[in-house]
Amino acid sequence: MLRLAYKSVKHNPKRLLLTTVAVALGVALVSTTLTLTNALSNGFDELFAETTGTTDVAVEAQETSDAETGDDMWAPEDALISTDDLASIAAVDGVAAAYGGIQVDGTAMPSGYEADGSMMSGNGAPTILYNWHGVPDVDKATLVEGSAPTADTDIVLDVDSAPALGYEIGDTVSVATDTGVEEFTLVGLVRFGESNSLQTATLGYMTEARAQEITGQDGFQEVAVVTEDGADNDAVAEALADVVPAGTRAVTGEQLQAEQSESLDSMLQYIDIFAITFALVALFVGSYIIVNTFRIVVTQRTREFGLMRAIGVTGSQVRRTVLLEALVIAVVAATLGIGLGYLGALGMAAVAESFVGDIFGTMSLPLDAVLWSYALAALVTLVSALLPAIHASAISPMEALRESATESKKPLKTRNIVGAAIALLGLVGVFVGLYTDLSMPYVYVGAGAMALVVGVTLLAAQVLVPLAFGLRDLLTRVFRIDGKLAANNIRREPRRSANTAAALMIGVMLLALVSTFTESLKSVITGEFDAMEADLFVTDSGDGVVPEGALDIIEGAAGVDFVTSVGLTSVEYDDEARTLVAIDTATFESAYETDADSDLSSIGDGVFIAPDVQDLGVEVGDEVTLVGATGSVTLEVTGLVDSSEDGSFWVDWSTADALEDGLGAYQSLVVLDDGEDVDSVQSAILDRFTEEYPLVVLQTPDQMTQLATSFTDMILGVISALLGSALVIAILGVANTLLLSVTERTREIGLLRAVGVRRSSVWRMITIESMVMAIFGTVLGMILGVGLGAALVKALAEFGFGTATIPWGWLALYTVGAALAGVMAAIWPARRASRLDILEAVAADG
Amino acid sequence: MTTTTATIAAPTTVATAATMRKGYKDYGLGGTAVRALDGVDVDIARHEFTAIMGPSGSGKSTLLHTLAGLDKLTSGESSIADIVITSLPEAKVTEVRRDHIGFVFQSFNLIPSLNARENITLPLDISGKPVDKEWFDEIIGILGLAGRLTHLPAELSGGQQQRVAVARALVARPEIIFADEPSGNLDSRSGNELLSFMRRAVKEFGQTIVMVTHDPSAAAHADRILFLEDGRIVDEMREPTADKVLDRMKQMGR
Repeated sequence: MLRLAYKSVKHNPKRLLLTTVAVALGVALVSTTLTLTNALSNGFDELFAETTGTTDVAVEAQETSDAETGDDMWAPEDALISTDDLASIAAVDGVAAAYGGIQVDGTAMPSGYEADGSMMSGNGAPTILYNWHGVPDVDKATLVEGSAPTADTDIVLDVDSAPALGYEIGDTVSVATDTGVEEFTLVGLVRFGESNSLQTATLGYMTEARAQEITGQDGFQEVAVVTEDGADNDAVAEALADVVPAGTRAVTGEQLQAEQSESLDSMLQYIDIFAITFALVALFVGSYIIVNTFRIVVTQRTREFGLMRAIGVTGSQVRRTVLLEALVIAVVAATLGIGLGYLGALGMAAVAESFVGDIFGTMSLPLDAVLWSYALAALVTLVSALLPAIHASAISPMEALRESATESKKPLKTRNIVGAAIALLGLVGVFVGLYTDLSMPYVYVGAGAMALVVGVTLLAAQVLVPLAFGLRDLLTRVFRIDGKLAANNIRREPRRSANTAAALMIGVMLLALVSTFTESLKSVITGEFDAMEADLFVTDSGDGVVPEGALDIIEGAAGVDFVTSVGLTSVEYDDEARTLVAIDTATFESAYETDADSDLSSIGDGVFIAPDVQDLGVEVGDEVTLVGATGSVTLEVTGLVDSSEDGSFWVDWSTADALEDGLGAYQSLVVLDDGEDVDSVQSAILDRFTEEYPLVVLQTPDQMTQLATSFTDMILGVISALLGSALVIAILGVANTLLLSVTERTREIGLLRAVGVRRSSVWRMITIESMVMAIFGTVLGMILGVGLGAALVKALAEFGFGTATIPWGWLALYTVGAALAGVMAAIWPARRASRLDILEAVAADG
Repeated sequence: MTTTTATIAAPTTVATAATMRKGYKDYGLGGTAVRALDGVDVDIARHEFTAIMGPSGSGKSTLLHTLAGLDKLTSGESSIADIVITSLPEAKVTEVRRDHIGFVFQSFNLIPSLNARENITLPLDISGKPVDKEWFDEIIGILGLAGRLTHLPAELSGGQQQRVAVARALVARPEIIFADEPSGNLDSRSGNELLSFMRRAVKEFGQTIVMVTHDPSAAAHADRILFLEDGRIVDEMREPTADKVLDRMKQMGR
């Protein structure tokens, strides 16, 4: 049987070519993702190995709280370790030397920068500035050019960053810090580890005195301990545990590196899950093509199977032959896909490198990419080929003798009933997921959406029949006989046409869903900024905290009425992490419209709660206990806010300080005196920021709206790109169905040509067929996508979403795209059909 | 026709509907080449029913296909309605087929997705010409298809399908109709009926028909029979009867 299956594939490889390509594309997406994240992980592992691997034992601040999320992994800790502590650490048995380290929070500005109030560096790779010890194993970097920093005005930068920022030795380097711009002279270049694998971060060193001056602290954030020769690092770390100050811990370099790798890997896992979801969507679409292909192929081979059955081959043997063919395709496609995926990963790494620099480590094909690819390809093809295979095994020997080789004209009734039931079930799933309070609602929504897709696919066949009938007149009027024949062909095999269109429907549905969501999000954002009283917004593009000094400048500027700041952090309530909003209760409401049941100034020493906390049964007058990074407080609930979009708990700054000492302003709102010109005040303040706080961003609501809008567009762009492969596969599906249908209609096309239909007419006929299927699939997809998107938006009403915005512009674009895709998909089949040799075609078998 | 070639003359002024001069057709290349037509000279007279006969492999189908412009001669010249098609590009030949030729094949004559009426008017629909209602009704009446016009081919008997094909060939009043074993798949009664219709079309409407067949009784419906052997026309017969044809065929070693 295997030989028969192999020969059958070999005998007619073209028939299965597009199917293979479709599966290969889905697999390629899986393998690209896994290869890239693996390389990314390698890259960071190299970085961690070089930053921490050489340290014997490190003393560092302890992780404050598990609930702490969104913490900047590069941000410096408080200097908890005093000079005395350093001395006691050095005195512990086995410790040869201990070096106190300070990290300066600052950003090295590119040469000749100019502040214009826009994002300077974004939230890209950070600058890490340390104090220089002059001890090779402790400094992690080695001097390769110039000299080490000795004077307090000296700085050294890593060999890759200095030229990237436009500096040469002897130049003046500007570093923006919380307290203003510091200037240094570049005296040397250092290399980090062996290869300076910094993942595009900027690394630099200065003297200890200058570092302490800038941070304004005289202690150290961390201590690098060099153990004596032959000492056991673990034992030393344990011994050190007794002497280190509160809030810090001693840990071996090896362990630290392992911890960092682990936390990074769990982060990359989310990227994997995200991207593989899209790969699964692509494969799901691919499975439609496989089902369709095998269905058509089985139909076309009805006589062959009938003959096999007549000469004594059993039904189960026929079934196995078909399944084995599917398996052959799976293996070929997976191999092809893995190769394609690896090339894709190399390509994407090259593109990424040209934008953000070398962030990938050694590129290698991870084993799990290979395993996943083969497993997914085999699963998808075998499951998809199952129904056609069963169909093939049911063919009776008598079928071999029958003339016609078209699918039997079974009524669509069963298909409709099953389709309606599945679609209904899917709808219920989606609504249960969106509107009830079950845990893991996305499971219901996801499964529901999938069932809906399958159900609609089945129902689509019924819709297509009257649609093609209605279209027939229109197409006939516009394209005359070509249009009529195209409409007839669609109607002739409604199942096949529906399945083909549905493959496209899935991709378009997701696109429409995402664009409905992002467009609605945009209206929310725009609405929010429109309702804003504030004239200017202040944010920070460095570490995300607006420096105090910058706020002082704004408050002192001419024309400014007042500045009110918002802090955001994470607190634990009832062992769950929730967002805390810190506001200046006296001024906030005059700058920002908030829907609350009473005036925000009545928060007082208490707390206002958002709907997500109200849902837990907490009411006004209750007491809640919040645990923050540096303290915990019990507060009385004094009011309610109507939206959870900003945060769960609203408190005054004084309360926030008790929860987290030193919480900075995440965003500040500036209200100007009446009649002041916003532009002139903005540029006056920015002029001062250029000198002192180049990383602070000062924007008008309009500029903020634009920024937010372009951000949502970017999300839409990324998701569209990821869905691209699913769409390409769907287009391949249209091409594949048409190609097989052309093969099936060889005689018919030959006859048309004989009675005088031109080649160009045949081409046009196939193209119309293709376009109708593509547009049909797209329209179905848009209806489903916008519907689901609207349901999602409605379900998120408590996060400030209003009515769903229908993305008309995008929908028009998708329709035009679908028509174009239809034309493209028709190229190969149409070419084949129009080039058919008339005599051979007329004489063709079956 | 918009062709401006000088070879086009008004078709009504000539006595031949189709001609071939020194027609050679080779299949394959080099040592394996097979000569299907070996210097054929033939004139198909207008308003005549011509049958082409010959044993298997004699080249009769090739002659029909090359005359009809479905296949290209290796060398030589052929023309339809005085248009030399051997020198025309494919697109022009398609137009000649569309405007001057009707076809009836042995089987699979009809587009499965079009009903009988649509199949019949297909050639007119392709060229965008209006249907001559009177002519259409007359053909339908003669062929007895009036009650079948809305049926799909699958709902028609074999004889009915072939009659639809003949109707389609007639509807555009082509210069010439080529029929390739039109009764080959039919039982003798349906076959006889069909051939009688074709004969009537020649006699009553002055249609020109060329038919390939290996069946002597089918050929007996023709005005003139051309006998083909090894790619050459070896004989011709006028006023044939089935017996005469059978005798002649026997001589050809069949």
